[in-house]
Amino acid sequence: MSASNPVLIIGAGVAGMTAAVELADSGIKAVLVERQETVGGNALDLYKAFPTDDCFYCFEGNRWRPGIRKCFYRSALIDQPNISLKMNSEVNTISGTPGQFTVTLSVGPQYIDPKKCTMCGLCLEKSKAFHLISPQCQPQAVVYNPSINDDGAKQAEEECPTKAISLNAQPTEEIIKVSDIIIATGYHEMKPVNMDEYSYGKHPNIITQLELAKIIDPNGESNGVPLKPSDGKPVKRVMMVQCVGSRDENYYPYCSKICCVFALKHANILMQERDGVQVSVVYMDIRTYDRYERYYHTARESGVEFIRGRVSLIQPREDGSLDIVVYDSLLNKYLKFSVDLFVLSSALEPPEGTNKLIESLGLKSASGFVGIADPKTENEVIVGDHIYACGTALGPAEVPESVTQARAAVSKILQSRK
Amino acid sequence: MSKVPVFNLYMGCSVPANYPNYEAAMLKVAETYDIQLEYMEGVGCCGSPNLRAIDYLGWLTINARTLAIAEKNGHDIVTPCNGCFGSLKDVYHFLKHDANYRKQVNDILKKDGLEFKGTITPRHFVEALYTDIGIEEIGKKITKPLDGVGIAIHYGCHLLRPIDVTEFKPEFLNDLIQATGASVVEYPLWKQCCGATVLPVDENLAIRLARDKLKSMKESGAEFIAVVCPACGNQLDLQQLGLKESYGEEFNLPVLLYPQILGLALGMTEEEVGLNMNRVPADSILNHLTG
Amino acid sequence: MVVVYPMTEMDEQSGPPITLIDPIDMSKLDTKFREQIKSMPNGEELSACFACSTCTAACPIANIWQYKPHQLIRMIILGMKEEVLSSNEIWLCLTCFQCQERCPQKVRVTDIFFDCKNLAAEEGKVPPNIIGLGKELLEKGQLYTVTADWEREDLGLEPAVPGLSVDSMKNTLKKTRTNKLVEGGE
Repeated sequence: MSASNPVLIIGAGVAGMTAAVELADSGIKAVLVERQETVGGNALDLYKAFPTDDCFYCFEGNRWRPGIRKCFYRSALIDQPNISLKMNSEVNTISGTPGQFTVTLSVGPQYIDPKKCTMCGLCLEKSKAFHLISPQCQPQAVVYNPSINDDGAKQAEEECPTKAISLNAQPTEEIIKVSDIIIATGYHEMKPVNMDEYSYGKHPNIITQLELAKIIDPNGESNGVPLKPSDGKPVKRVMMVQCVGSRDENYYPYCSKICCVFALKHANILMQERDGVQVSVVYMDIRTYDRYERYYHTARESGVEFIRGRVSLIQPREDGSLDIVVYDSLLNKYLKFSVDLFVLSSALEPPEGTNKLIESLGLKSASGFVGIADPKTENEVIVGDHIYACGTALGPAEVPESVTQARAAVSKILQSRK
Repeated sequence: MSKVPVFNLYMGCSVPANYPNYEAAMLKVAETYDIQLEYMEGVGCCGSPNLRAIDYLGWLTINARTLAIAEKNGHDIVTPCNGCFGSLKDVYHFLKHDANYRKQVNDILKKDGLEFKGTITPRHFVEALYTDIGIEEIGKKITKPLDGVGIAIHYGCHLLRPIDVTEFKPEFLNDLIQATGASVVEYPLWKQCCGATVLPVDENLAIRLARDKLKSMKESGAEFIAVVCPACGNQLDLQQLGLKESYGEEFNLPVLLYPQILGLALGMTEEEVGLNMNRVPADSILNHLTG
Repeated sequence: MVVVYPMTEMDEQSGPPITLIDPIDMSKLDTKFREQIKSMPNGEELSACFACSTCTAACPIANIWQYKPHQLIRMIILGMKEEVLSSNEIWLCLTCFQCQERCPQKVRVTDIFFDCKNLAAEEGKVPPNIIGLGKELLEKGQLYTVTADWEREDLGLEPAVPGLSVDSMKNTLKKTRTNKLVEGGE
């Protein structure tokens, strides 16, 4: 009987984690498969997520859960017996029929047992093979890079106080039966290497918004002080440019939806919380829909400079700064700036492998993302028979939207099992 | 024998009149690599963007005629001129997709017993080198490689754009330059127009465009410029003399046509590639030949 | 251009006239212009323009234009045919295709300016030096003629270009617009 089978969730970002926890709490087993070494997806790199400017783990809706501040998913993902978390793992094949899928998984080697690791830091001192992705990482454990297999690593394995390290761990293949599939594969931030007008990849001080998020994260290398990647000196002038690869028929025709708020959030942090940083934003339309208008308002109030126009020319200087000429279409003049950091609000694109997934499951494609099965209905999380999608797997979305969609998918599954 | 690539050679009017050294160097390079170039019979000027601007049908017809003549023997066209390449490629692309204009044009061509069908492709000589000979084969015959000297490439607008029409990637030319042992100097204004096309309308503007371009190349450390178009070559070469005369501004960036550079690396003499015809003296390139 | 606005009864009742603003009277624009351009070679994407001004940012010489590329596109969409076809800008276009390459909506901006030039030419509005080039093509069949044939010979080339025919150009242009333009210009 299919109802007793677990649900497969592909991707442990915001949407996938939410779905897993909600299902588990409702008594349904969930297999949560994540390609990377930590859960959290792209959101893990955002130290402040809109709309609450809080750590993204801690949304209002989750606060009823005991002990949730900062650690809601930590306990749930590791300790909830209904969740089976597969890190470093990928879905290989899916066969069978709706309601009774057979899934083969490549499960990466478990070098570190997250149930034992206390993140004491001993192994980090012994060898560079170990590192901590982020204090917020989930599972709460260090990660091991097998390509650096040095003596220090072996020592760490022996001396680990909780015996959490197993350097000989091997990858395995698992075959599981699932009743439903939730696709929560998220997005990838486009690396605009082909748009030569922006010189991305050719100069260290030309970066994307997600790269900026890491630079200004208080938990990051410079404790959130914005430093120039070129020479580590403080950043004084930042320019951001919107709609890079989005709303562009040569790349992605859709509006990536969150880049405006994303950029404004960063602009506000830089202007209000970092010393002496001036930010300019080059835009063609500012789309701060719904309640996000306040980010735009705050940005204007805190002195962010808005230029309605497009970038004409970038010329790097020897000191690492960039001379940028922008055409201001409101003024009908060209403006020249000298900036330390040039930040591209790059399009959200479907992550690698999405096409393969869409094809193998016979789903619809919506500009490369997973398309909903019947666009006429309002069932926007149903993408196939016993197949659901939520979060940015469906296309650009913000965190609360992803959470809502994850819950909607869960509720559909619960209804189908009644 | 059948492996020898054979092309219809379309010279246009500018190269034979202004750059016989380009023509000569190209023919010798082709000979070295067993590329058979056959001068096309009964063709002339492509009309340039100026004809396209005032007489679209005339421009389509004259270029469709050239393409139709080539179709008779079935070999692709190669041309050394970006202007001719741009015209032929644009007309080829447009007529393949637009049945109305194709009929209009073919009605005119019919009187000469010609018809445009779109069965052969117009190509730039350097693209044919890149695709049909290949970088590896090109490298094998080089006897006097350059010593890594920095060359800035001016690709030329009508070679690169519109990309869906020209289908030419800058990397082709980068690889071709590197095959000679030279290194490619990147510079911010690499995409910018040389200004040749506005010469008849606004000379001052044309000079300013050339100046910006030359300045950007110089500041990025280039010692030579490579071009693949007589109009671009003329503009960047000649305007340097003008800039020196009128503004006392000296860039001293010799402008070489790609087959001249490759020819020298293949061991040809400076006379064979017509180095003496360059306006900004280009002899200094000889000091960078090794082997 | 002074536009006289008829005073209707409504106007009299609703307050003072708006002569100080001197607006463009939309009812006097050519609403068919947009469709006309769209029907011309590579004009189809015209309506996709969302006025981001990337074309102007990409243009290396728009700084000296009174009407910038995105403004010309806007003028076409609005129906300002007269102004567009009489503008110098369309003739100053470098045809470098940078605007067209960067347009995020795939509007073929440079191609559309070629369409505008052809429409202007149809109305006989062509700068004299371009007419001169047309005349050259019509009479000589080419833009450049070999004069220094010894240079060719020194390089081992035939003194005259093998296979060259200038008649095909002359004959073709006699039957097309170039002939009319050159005749009209004399």
